[in-house]
Amino acid sequence: MAFYIFKRLLAMIPTLLGVAVLIFVLLRVVPGDVVEARYLTQGSQFQSQDLMDQERAKLGLDQPLWKQFTTWMSGLARLDFGLSMWTGAPITEEIKLRFALSLQLAIMASLLAQLLAIPLGILAAVKQDTWVDYAVRVFSIAGLATPSFWLGIMMILFMLIVFKWVPPMVFTPLWVNPWENLALLIWPALAVGYRYSAVGTRMMRSAMLEVLREDYIRTARAKGLWLKLILSRHALKNAILPVLTVMSLEFAFLLGGLVVTEQVFNLNGLGMLFVEAISHRDYTLVQALVMLVATFFLLINFFVDIAYAWIDPRIRYR
Amino acid sequence: MAATPQTLDELSRSAPRRARWISAIVDFVRHRPLGAVGAALILLMVVMAATAGLIAPYNPVANDYTAMLAGPSSEHWLGTDAHGRDVLTRILYGSRTALMVGLGASLLGATFGSLIGVASAYFGGRVDLIVQRIMDVFFAFPVIILALAVVAVLGTGAGNVILAIAAPMIPRCARVVRSSALAVREMPYIDAARASGYGHNRIILRHMLPNVMAPILIMATAFLGEAILLEASLSFLGLGVQEPTAAWGLMLRGAAVEFAETAPWMAIFPGLAISMAVFGFNLFGDSLRDALDPRLRTQ
Repeated sequence: MAFYIFKRLLAMIPTLLGVAVLIFVLLRVVPGDVVEARYLTQGSQFQSQDLMDQERAKLGLDQPLWKQFTTWMSGLARLDFGLSMWTGAPITEEIKLRFALSLQLAIMASLLAQLLAIPLGILAAVKQDTWVDYAVRVFSIAGLATPSFWLGIMMILFMLIVFKWVPPMVFTPLWVNPWENLALLIWPALAVGYRYSAVGTRMMRSAMLEVLREDYIRTARAKGLWLKLILSRHALKNAILPVLTVMSLEFAFLLGGLVVTEQVFNLNGLGMLFVEAISHRDYTLVQALVMLVATFFLLINFFVDIAYAWIDPRIRYR
Repeated sequence: MAATPQTLDELSRSAPRRARWISAIVDFVRHRPLGAVGAALILLMVVMAATAGLIAPYNPVANDYTAMLAGPSSEHWLGTDAHGRDVLTRILYGSRTALMVGLGASLLGATFGSLIGVASAYFGGRVDLIVQRIMDVFFAFPVIILALAVVAVLGTGAGNVILAIAAPMIPRCARVVRSSALAVREMPYIDAARASGYGHNRIILRHMLPNVMAPILIMATAFLGEAILLEASLSFLGLGVQEPTAAWGLMLRGAAVEFAETAPWMAIFPGLAISMAVFGFNLFGDSLRDALDPRLRTQ
């Protein structure tokens, strides 16, 4: 087991290196750089070439590409993300605040999604091919079809028209005022969570259907166990693994995938930061964010696999 | 009495062609009601896109400053936007953008994805290993972030959006198709083809690809809905299709949110259009998967 863990962790390095190369190259292919983004948008096209070259030299953009890459890599190896090219502040500082917001939102959305998905999926499987099943399936397919940013707009609109109330559009950290914090974040969490619950509901339904056909379920029913007990003790335990897998993999992407919903609720999270960073051509910040999300994704992937072996004694890794 | 048909084949041939065609539809509606609803929604969208020029009451890009932010009325059924453009007209024309981007991206993604997947399975060994590692890199990117990065490189506009949406779909398709192709590779007829001295290209394109068509079709329909959704998201961020082109995501941007309180029709209807379209493709895709993939078929 220890060897397996070691092997898996080692295997992450080439993938992350690939991600690093890909985003590095992609960014350098993008027309324009941070210096142009800053000076040309200020309307002065008469900025002297000298000044712009000086700025570039300050940011290390005059170096050859391989040198820029190795500088970045050696920084990463020391867990030093460097400075944002746009604001000049350390990237860890830039990300820290927004990370807390996005993480909280992702956790809330994922909790809401599971609260919806697991009972609905079980219900649909038990009542297969009845109108309950159809209703749950339509509900979940609708969740996949509705853009979460539009759902967010509709929620705000609904509350505005029906309750004459708008959620506070200013973010307060949870530890400052939990009520204000939740009053704002619950809506985007619902909008995003509904969409992610759809993936889980479908998975839960099909996994449950498969398990319900197993011999041990028939045995349990034959010996007269309550359906409730069979479902919760025998079936759920066996059916929930793939659901948890899918949902935890989605979790990593929630962090990066809130991009659009954050705009609607005016939330200054990682998604918003990413869009800004791209439009500013802030290479270092975009690179750091992509590496962060990719690392998160790979780590969650890894933990899911480890958790599998821990939850399900039939699975052993070598 | 005339000779009764002896075989099933004769039986089906004796029935008029049209009746069979209709009964196939009736069968589909009866056995897969959800799929039929999906197909109807898709059909509606295709008709909208095809006839937008004929049935749309206004010009989709003409501003009318005498009728800005007008509510739904007999002249403007779904109201007008901040430039006085008719919302219904723009939704009708928007279906063209959505279909074009959706079809383009999923066709592109499925084509390249399945070619890579089949080739990777066929060659196996080191090629397969390297391709899989490269795919892993792409998997570590959230879809929208990869799409945003591609848009940043290529620039905005419908054509580039198609490429940006296809890019993250290629590895996803490749992975699914590869796993099906691995099974096909072990089939005796592939050995036979190799023994006959056929080249790699011919075996991949003529022998393996047709036999993994089911997963490819399933992926392609699933992509269609996703692509429409992704296009709407990119356009909403201002990084997709650009004004004044009519696109549903674009219609939800800016003024639609600003004036949501006084002019809610601007925000409601384009979003409904997106949801219905994606809903249709998803429903249809689900029944297609059930029909094509016997392992997933519900009893």
